[in-house]
Amino acid sequence: MKQKLFELGLTEAVNLVKSGQVRLVEIVEDYLNQIDRVDKKVKAYLTCNFDAALARARQIDSKPEKGKLAGAVLAVKDNIVTRGLRTTCGSKILENFIPPYNATVIERLEAEDAIIIGKTNLDEFAMGGSTENSAFFATRNPWDLDRVPGGSSGGSAAAVAAREAAGALGSDTGGSVRQPAALCGLVGLKPTYGLVSRYGLIAFASSLDQIGTFARNVRDCALLTSIIAGFDRRDSTSADRPVPDFIANLELPLAKKRVGVLAEALLTGVNSEVAANYKAVVRNLQELGFAIERFPFPSWQYALPCYYIIAPSEASSNLARFDGVRYGFRADSRELSEMYVKTRTLGFGSEVKRRILTGTFALSSGYYDAYYARAARARQTIIREFQTAFKQVDFILTPTTPEPAFKRGEKQDPLSMYLEDYFTVTANLAGIPGLSLPSGMTLNGLPIGTQLLGPDFSELELFKLAFLLEKIFNFKNNIDGITTVREEEE
Amino acid sequence: MLGMKFDLNHLSQLANLKLTEEEKKQLPEQIEKIIDWVGQLSLLETGEEEKFAPVNFTLRLEADEPENPLPQSEVLAMAPDKEGDFIKVPKVLTGK
Repeated sequence: MKQKLFELGLTEAVNLVKSGQVRLVEIVEDYLNQIDRVDKKVKAYLTCNFDAALARARQIDSKPEKGKLAGAVLAVKDNIVTRGLRTTCGSKILENFIPPYNATVIERLEAEDAIIIGKTNLDEFAMGGSTENSAFFATRNPWDLDRVPGGSSGGSAAAVAAREAAGALGSDTGGSVRQPAALCGLVGLKPTYGLVSRYGLIAFASSLDQIGTFARNVRDCALLTSIIAGFDRRDSTSADRPVPDFIANLELPLAKKRVGVLAEALLTGVNSEVAANYKAVVRNLQELGFAIERFPFPSWQYALPCYYIIAPSEASSNLARFDGVRYGFRADSRELSEMYVKTRTLGFGSEVKRRILTGTFALSSGYYDAYYARAARARQTIIREFQTAFKQVDFILTPTTPEPAFKRGEKQDPLSMYLEDYFTVTANLAGIPGLSLPSGMTLNGLPIGTQLLGPDFSELELFKLAFLLEKIFNFKNNIDGITTVREEEE
Repeated sequence: MLGMKFDLNHLSQLANLKLTEEEKKQLPEQIEKIIDWVGQLSLLETGEEEKFAPVNFTLRLEADEPENPLPQSEVLAMAPDKEGDFIKVPKVLTGK
């Protein structure tokens, strides 16, 4: 039987296309069939780009010199703008928005001959942890269709897990790449603040947002990241510094071997299987000769409240631009101020409104000092604690999430959803990189993720450690484990 | 509603939002809970230093020079309503 090309990893597919063993158009056609077969159930995609993808594939097949990503079929979270391809942000307010330009990350991917096969579902404006808060539909976890894929980049994660793409872009403001990566059994990276250009990422909370990558293994994630990383003059928060060669250095020995782990007290309330997996991972590292240091991290438990002041405050300001004037949805009105209000009232969903109002409160006269300014001081305290920690250790290891994928509809109370970000928000507040790696399975077959944190711009070290651990964990991200795909086979 | 720290009508006016009857019922309690919960931040001892963005590298400044803008036709194509070369909106001044 002919090998299914959508099962190839990103690097494998690129190697086959570049060596001329497989035509890109065959790979794209295989993905189109796979999407047709499984996306009715998974619902990862908001918009498919089939015709353009096939046309581009034919064009790339005929090129004598192919780019570094020729063969890579990718999904892109629908808050990253794509020229001529609808970009909704999971919101009614942008339901019919066709961007007139490409985000820098899209330009860089396409310049290396990657194929963008579609735009993936998300919690509206990337606010949420389950991809149930999309204005259009909820995405499901391919490992168990009754469960959520995580969020907010749940569509991208589900697409890669279900073999509807070889890799994907997401965005991570408080864990929105790492948490769905963990829940869907993938590798997911939130890069250092400033490593990847955000030009063309629809802003949620500008001091926290980063574009990140998903793949089914560490090498693929590193390859994808290496293409989108690096200075961009169109993003004023972009870091003008050289990016190391992640791929060439991936297998070199790791010089840094000191690992910090969280004190027991910070792990209370964590699901027992996740906690047991974390302990096993720490033991693995000890056996490999890593020095383990336990940290009390007194500010860790305050990171969530700090985040849930800063993120809504920035969102309330960033989302002020959606007023129905220049683009997007506009509600019929007789006068301008009424148009603003009606457009926003009908265009935004309830979680977005909740955050805009919370942020408006935190920034309002009389409350600014007690909330926003206090959060800014807490943020500096958290950053200082990381700086002190990274003098003693090279990495900090945590579970990625407090629990594996939860049931759809399980978290109705907004606060219970916010707690999902307990392990991930610190990296966004501090600006440091974080990588989630599949590290095991629960008894009922759900993936568990481990998060590796490092100091600013330590992505190469994170990839190297993850590459080493990946071999030890030997996580079976194979197609047989995934409900939706397997059921279809039977 | 007792002891409410905020005036939801005032906040929604500031945010240019109008709440549905359903939202008026649910949101005050939800937002109150969120505000109470983030209030625990007062328990963390901090210094006076504030951090607004985690930029630990030197930002490169660009010369303030105009570049090629998007073509006018493409910008206008996005507009919900237009007239000639202009984006059209309902009247700004009301008779009140």
